[in-house]
Amino acid sequence: MGDWWREFPEMDRETLVALRKALDGGYREFSRSYGAEIEAFFDPLLYFLVWFEKLLLATPWWLVIIVLCGFAWMASRSWKIILGTVIAFLLIGWFGMWEDTMRTMSIIIVCTLIAIALGVPIGILMARSGRTQAVVTPVLDVMQTMPAFVYLIPVVMLLGIGKVPGVIAVVIYAIPPVIRLTNLGIRLVDRDVMEAADSFGASPWQRLVRVQVPLAMPTIMAGINQTIMMALAMVVIASMIGVKGLGQPVLKSITNQYFTLGLLNGLAIVALAIVFDRISQAYGRRMQAYRERLEG
Amino acid sequence: MLFRTVFGVLATLALFASFLVTAPARAADCGRVTLADMNWSSATFIANVDRFILEHGYGCDAELVVGDTMPTGTSMIEKGEPDIASELWTHGFTEALERGVSEGRLKIVSASLSDGGEEGFWVPKFLVDKHPELATISGIRKHAALFKNPEDPTTSLFMGCPAGWGCQINAGNLYKALNLKDAGFVLGDPGSGAGLAGSLAKAYERGEPWFGYYWAPTPLLGKYEMVKVDFESGVDEAHFVECIAVADCENPKPTMYPPAPVHTVVTADLSERALAVVAYLSRRSFTNSFMNGFLAWVDDNQADGEVAMAHFMKTHEPLWREWVSAEAAGRIKAALAKM
Repeated sequence: MGDWWREFPEMDRETLVALRKALDGGYREFSRSYGAEIEAFFDPLLYFLVWFEKLLLATPWWLVIIVLCGFAWMASRSWKIILGTVIAFLLIGWFGMWEDTMRTMSIIIVCTLIAIALGVPIGILMARSGRTQAVVTPVLDVMQTMPAFVYLIPVVMLLGIGKVPGVIAVVIYAIPPVIRLTNLGIRLVDRDVMEAADSFGASPWQRLVRVQVPLAMPTIMAGINQTIMMALAMVVIASMIGVKGLGQPVLKSITNQYFTLGLLNGLAIVALAIVFDRISQAYGRRMQAYRERLEG
Repeated sequence: MLFRTVFGVLATLALFASFLVTAPARAADCGRVTLADMNWSSATFIANVDRFILEHGYGCDAELVVGDTMPTGTSMIEKGEPDIASELWTHGFTEALERGVSEGRLKIVSASLSDGGEEGFWVPKFLVDKHPELATISGIRKHAALFKNPEDPTTSLFMGCPAGWGCQINAGNLYKALNLKDAGFVLGDPGSGAGLAGSLAKAYERGEPWFGYYWAPTPLLGKYEMVKVDFESGVDEAHFVECIAVADCENPKPTMYPPAPVHTVVTADLSERALAVVAYLSRRSFTNSFMNGFLAWVDDNQADGEVAMAHFMKTHEPLWREWVSAEAAGRIKAALAKM
């Protein structure tokens, strides 16, 4: 029996190191030559992020709560959700986490908007072609399971630390649900309905925006809801590359074993998540109720 | 059907089990020893050297456990685990450590880095070549505009220490003491060690200005030529201990970093039951110039702790021979020959 029988016949270390160094060197070279241009490309996003964070921080706390409750009312028409939102934010403020919460909220909102703006069109493309679906699905699998630090550090080498790489990391992790569920929602639209639309002479564009997307809306909303949840789950990871917000005190508490500090900030993230979850779910449900009324 | 599945699984397991080789029996005088394997190059290297020498020279059943400065320090004080921290930067929690030592739970056996750790605020050397006055803090203040903060171009960025690290306190106090705020600098938080290293590496690779906290010996400072900024104050060790290292110190004054104590710390339990091991640890120490050079090799070869250890044991025999007894040295040599 040769050695290969007991031990995996692996590549020898020198070759492997040479390969690793060649790839690392190539990436460094790339970052040196094109880094500045790529950074400049993301500058508008950075200005927007900074502006939006400043806006949320400068807005008086009661106005932020009123605006949030306004959104909650439009989406859910539920007094319970509004009451919960008010209590959650009052507690967050009382425990001295208002600023960090605003910072986290600003980045989460921007990330969610980017995820929707990119994710819904990709989902629609996937639903229209089986081949696109076959290509995109494994990419989504990679995005959801690849440990964040694996792509965070190359992104840091390219763009430095701070908000933009943070947003990129969060969007990579959080975008798959909205893509998957947009695709699913459109594929689930009833064939009879599509035939009816065809027989009325609807153009492909009309079919998409007047029939498929509205009927798929509750599923798409479920995807958006999941995207928001996953974006919030990434808050701590994003703070590891210098994104300010609730993640920073959590990191601080981990390194120093300040359990209560960690718990309070963790609970603030949970509170944000629950508020956003209930609002977006209620919105999805209300759209469904409307459809049921129509059908019933 | 179910029977056949179960039988199949059992047969597969039996096949795998036939490949298991029973581990050779260990000498019983040392027993099981756990060593903290910290996640930076020099610490994981020293821990691997200790593990190899303990296992082959002193017959210990030595095992590496993942660690980090604060969690490992706390766990050693509170729970007596792990047994050995091979490279512990102790100034972050001097008080807790002193309590552990005075209550007889911990023992400091040696300085892992005999020169101590070197901390400071650094700028890239290529920048100092262009603007020589940047080697001093007054030059930094004068040229603050060079270090533009990307998130707010009207300010400059001083890259501080990650949230929760011991150096976050002292770097923050020195930021105050050196009036960096009045010069237009904001205190940046890189979020993690990887974030701090990434921001330095990115700036250096790109030829961009960077001004921030870092420490040596590290592969990064072995690889990138950085200049330690002179605070024009000298070292005031008493003030550093009383004020700069203390959170919320009222009136911090400028002082350079004194050499940071870097110790090998063991639990009291181990120091009682394994005298030979403690004798080895108390002799085992590295100079910064050796460590910087060695870490540059580690980085060039992308070596992990184990590969670095093997390289060191094979190429630096005279060095480790001084640390161990003659019999242990013979056993280690035999184990090395088999590697």
